[in-house]
Amino acid sequence: MRTPDRRVVIGGIVAFAAAAAAIGYESRRLFGRHYPPTPYDDLFALLPDREAARKVGAAFLKEHSNFTSKTAAAALRRRIGKQKLDAALQAEIADGALTEAGRWLMPQTLAGLCALAAKAG
Amino acid sequence: MNFTDARQVPSGTKLMPELVIIGGGPAGISLALALARTKIKVLLLESGGMQFDAATQALYAGQETGVKYYALDATRMRYLGGCTNHWGGWCRPLDEDDFAQRDWLRHSGWPFDRSELDPYFPRAQELIEAGPLLYDKLAKETLPGGDLLKLGPGGIYNSFFQFSVWRGNPDHLPTHFGERYADDLKRVPNLQVMLNANVTALRLGQDPRWVDHLDVATLDGKRFTVAPRHVVLAAGAIETARLLLASNDVATNGVGNENDLVGRYYADHAIPRDTATLVVFGGEIAASYKTTLDMKGAHFRATLSPTQQFKKDRHVLGSLVTVEQRVALDELGAAAVTTTSAALGVDGSNAHAYSLGCGIELAPDPDRRLTLTSERDALGMPRLKLNVTISDQDFANYREALVELGRQMLAAKTGMIRLDRQSRSEWLSVMDWGNHHMGTTRMNDDPKQGVVDGNCQVHGLANLFVAGSACFPTYGSSNPTLNLIALTLRLADHLKGVFR
Repeated sequence: MRTPDRRVVIGGIVAFAAAAAAIGYESRRLFGRHYPPTPYDDLFALLPDREAARKVGAAFLKEHSNFTSKTAAAALRRRIGKQKLDAALQAEIADGALTEAGRWLMPQTLAGLCALAAKAG
Repeated sequence: MNFTDARQVPSGTKLMPELVIIGGGPAGISLALALARTKIKVLLLESGGMQFDAATQALYAGQETGVKYYALDATRMRYLGGCTNHWGGWCRPLDEDDFAQRDWLRHSGWPFDRSELDPYFPRAQELIEAGPLLYDKLAKETLPGGDLLKLGPGGIYNSFFQFSVWRGNPDHLPTHFGERYADDLKRVPNLQVMLNANVTALRLGQDPRWVDHLDVATLDGKRFTVAPRHVVLAAGAIETARLLLASNDVATNGVGNENDLVGRYYADHAIPRDTATLVVFGGEIAASYKTTLDMKGAHFRATLSPTQQFKKDRHVLGSLVTVEQRVALDELGAAAVTTTSAALGVDGSNAHAYSLGCGIELAPDPDRRLTLTSERDALGMPRLKLNVTISDQDFANYREALVELGRQMLAAKTGMIRLDRQSRSEWLSVMDWGNHHMGTTRMNDDPKQGVVDGNCQVHGLANLFVAGSACFPTYGSSNPTLNLIALTLRLADHLKGVFR
């Protein structure tokens, strides 16, 4: 029996890996969570994990039933401005502008972003 | 042999030492040892023997009302060594501000500041065998078990407790004063220690400013009297109040109770469990928070406490945060950690979570008090009822410290916390207590506001003193044993002057 050519083996591995990566990408695109466009996508872009944020936001909303997305979004944009999110949060932390979401203590802006994400679905 | 048994004393005997110490707990033993090199003839009367005895312990039984508390015969130990027979060995000097009169805190203010006790802490520290006086100086050391938690600027800091370790004891228990110091007491030439001797009444003389004699009884029926020149009550904050209140044949409100203060302002440290969940984004918290470690001869543990400035600015009392066991995060907790750490630009993928314990100083409350009941114990003494209170403000004070801790962790990007208790019922559902009895003969130079004066002498009584944490007018968040011993050593110096 002949030993397979080394170049053929390497080529096969590369082709297999490329196919697997393509399938993975397509599956995520086809089956992963999709969020419809909202007027707040500029704010959601600040959240590295929107799904986790939605869970936190849902907990926050349980105790803040008067939360309205439009008003909150305007306030959040004002507060964050052109700063990076981390910088905006640190300013709030220094001021003691904290709130609770499901009793987890966090900056008000972060809780607001999470609540907005939860409202947006 | 200066250890004797009251059961061997014939009924009707009258003993006449110069000084009687009632109670052989940490205060009584420390006082007896402190007077060892004087010529004062001292008799130390201890209700129990060298070991636990159920019949003697039953003399402590009473009633409890109000907030759930320990049974009165479970929260104390009635044999030589007293409460050190079941203590955890936690030690820390009170803070300077614990002594201050605070406008925002009713009934606050000791008659002196901490500098009065400072000279006595080294000897107190020796007696409790807690190593060198390091405490918060440990923060400057390179500690075993990892770096301390980094906190942003604010009102909470890394604080330290040291632990009593009974030298030579194979089990490394905290020092049990009775067993540990029995031999030392036996070597004191002018001291007699009488076991199984229950003082049942302080009898005033024709001049009601003087205690004339004490009634002493044993459980096997002996009755005799002791007529000393001076008396020191060192029976713990509960029993000291009981003895004063029950000695009401001449002073009908009880001895030293002209202003209805004896037994009031009872205090303990509230230690509700699982008060919060602390998450460290970077992984495991330093071992010094979770267990006791050794450094430079000290057995220590790290805790988190409010700074004196924070207490002053926010009008909150003392407290401490302890890290208890590791806990798992639920789905919401994991989401909160993922979201917050990422938003702060740090990796939270290896975060560890811990439940937090605490010790809370209570505000002085005259309604948290001991009163006599109509029930009597085996020796005919009235039993006690303890009414325990804790205010919503006491919980709110502690919660404020937790919020500040959480804020400082976020500022340092080291972690975050969940506040697990909010409503009163939630706090009460996890309540526990420290067994730190304090305050029932509070110290104040004004007889209308305190039972004893700044020298621990009962107002209006020329020869009666109280030793121990019964004298604390406010309580701090430090465990009382080290501090009550320091106060007792100060009393010893005062008594030396009295007898001079």
